[in-house]
Amino acid sequence: MSDHTIFIGAVAYDPKVVTIWEGIRDYFREAGVPVDFALFSNYERQVETLIEGRIDIAWNTPLAHVRVQKRTGGRSVSLAMRDTDCDFRAKIVVRRDAGIQSLRDIEGRTLAVGSRDSTQARILPLHFLRQEGVDLSRVSLLPFDTDLGKHGDTGTSELDVLAALHSGAAGAGAVGDLVWVNEQAAGRVDPSKVEVLWTTPGFDHCMFDALDTLPPEKADAFRRALFAMRWDDPRHRRILELEGLRQWVPPRDEGYRSLRAALDEQGLW
Amino acid sequence: MVKEVAAAVAVDGGALPLGGGLLAVVPPAVALLEPGGVLAVLSSAPSVREDLPSWCRVERCGYLGHEEMPDGRDRHLIEKGPSSPARREAEPARGLPLREGRLLAADVLAAYPMPERASPQSGFAPRGASVEPGGPPYPFSLLERDHIAPPEVGSLYDQAVSAQWDATRDIPWDRVKRLPAALESAVGQIMTFLAENELSALYVPAKFLPRIHPAYAEVAMFLATQLADEARHIDVFLKRARIAGGSLGTSSVTTSRSLLSLLELEDFTEAAFLLSVLGEGTFLDLLRFVEEHAPDEATAELVRRARADESRHVHFGLAHVRHALAQDASLYGRLEAAVRRRAATLHGVGGVPAPLQDALTVLAARGTEARAVARGHEAFRTLLETMHEDRMRRLRHAGFTAEQAQVLSDLHTPNFM
Repeated sequence: MSDHTIFIGAVAYDPKVVTIWEGIRDYFREAGVPVDFALFSNYERQVETLIEGRIDIAWNTPLAHVRVQKRTGGRSVSLAMRDTDCDFRAKIVVRRDAGIQSLRDIEGRTLAVGSRDSTQARILPLHFLRQEGVDLSRVSLLPFDTDLGKHGDTGTSELDVLAALHSGAAGAGAVGDLVWVNEQAAGRVDPSKVEVLWTTPGFDHCMFDALDTLPPEKADAFRRALFAMRWDDPRHRRILELEGLRQWVPPRDEGYRSLRAALDEQGLW
Repeated sequence: MVKEVAAAVAVDGGALPLGGGLLAVVPPAVALLEPGGVLAVLSSAPSVREDLPSWCRVERCGYLGHEEMPDGRDRHLIEKGPSSPARREAEPARGLPLREGRLLAADVLAAYPMPERASPQSGFAPRGASVEPGGPPYPFSLLERDHIAPPEVGSLYDQAVSAQWDATRDIPWDRVKRLPAALESAVGQIMTFLAENELSALYVPAKFLPRIHPAYAEVAMFLATQLADEARHIDVFLKRARIAGGSLGTSSVTTSRSLLSLLELEDFTEAAFLLSVLGEGTFLDLLRFVEEHAPDEATAELVRRARADESRHVHFGLAHVRHALAQDASLYGRLEAAVRRRAATLHGVGGVPAPLQDALTVLAARGTEARAVARGHEAFRTLLETMHEDRMRRLRHAGFTAEQAQVLSDLHTPNFM
């Protein structure tokens, strides 16, 4: 393999990930930037492999991103994110017949939450509820620990939360805004049974991470080709649709402050 | 602060929650905006305060906030983002004219004309639809109006649709009687030849249909009527051969070679010229001959109906070639070369296939009595002359000179099609 090849890691949370990365590899090759990729079954292994220097770049969830930053003492390099990764929010959704009018009403009730490594369906909703003064020791959690290691990418645990709300197994639940909007748009939410109560503050989502040992010319080439992808170009559009974005944007770090605080507070580092 | 923003469009969402109907109202209104345009959404549903900002994030619109109006409803403001789907360009509303209660494709075409060129990226979007950019390219290769769509295609399509008939009921099949053996056999041979040639007339245009860009749908729609015509002709010819206990005749190598050379054509205009102008044009005379000498009313009726359909195909082929020739003078040379290439591949195949020639002679003679056969042979010779003269006339009509027409007609296949 040529030294110029940029070696990227991604987690295979769905069969479409193969299509996405083969598409990105072909697109980068056409753009004159040779890349190859390795697929991991979980983010913990991907982070270890990046730290060991055996891949150049990792496509990370927010949880994996802040862990890379912590492990490298803040010296890791953030390269790019999706437009959709900015200002992500979580929703507290309730059964209409549960009589929950305010966040404090969740105390004494059952709150359905997603996987313990899901930023949007568990870690941050619990953090923000505590900030809002909810006494979590008085809340009965109904957790759906599915697809552990995938950090909530599959969305399975969020669908489990919505199902628990529809069935009455929980009076309240936490899901990401993307799943909430998309499930409503698809007509899979019954508005006579379930409605939104509250929206958390915004936080940022996935990030391309590298070590500071990544040669600057590789980082520049990677960013240049990535940012040249266009939604209106049919050659790029399919990849962007599958990856769930309209355009790649430069990184920003302030959107991960709440996640770091949540990990401190919940002892999840 | 929200009040300062002037909304271009407002929609009333009533008490609809986002997932309970509001999404049927808001996205179409956003689609009417230019990027940066603002939509006001009136709502009395408290959940919309939580859900509309999230929908905006997912759809790349800006949520500018909400204010409470004096009647207690919320007025939310949404700004269409730069990367949200482009504004739908609505086609101009023109309405369509009725002619004595009839709505014609020709009038639709006149109101919504075909573009000179079409983009493969618009796929199967009907002409006039607003096409979201970024769609995949389609493998259409006929992308230029003046190479495929004569101006009269709309009215030809209208005529074709109203002239459709039923091969099951519209032929007086009950009038067919078994003929003397030689004449029955001649009819079987002629019907075999007609069906074989019509099969090629079904397959050859079908090959070009998926290459036509849907912006020129009227051309594809006309071809669809042509294919339905050919299917019906194949059906009636084979029925006539067998109805009274007769059987099919011979398929000759001359016919087979001639039709393969049509099927192998890769250029739509060349195919229209060789198949419709020269081939089907020549067939008109053949069908008239069979009608004139038909042994019964059913046979006369079915070839008469087939000829009426074929004359439409010839008309379309002539219109296509004449229009294309008027746009592109180099086409004369290409069409002549196509005829010469085809003649070269058929070199040495001899004259009209012998079984057909014999059958036409027996048909015109009404049997095999010697003096009648002499008359039949004379009728056949006259048919060949008529075919040549009519081909010349059509070639002149298409835009060829008398000399060019003479050469091209002489080079035409002895198989007629």
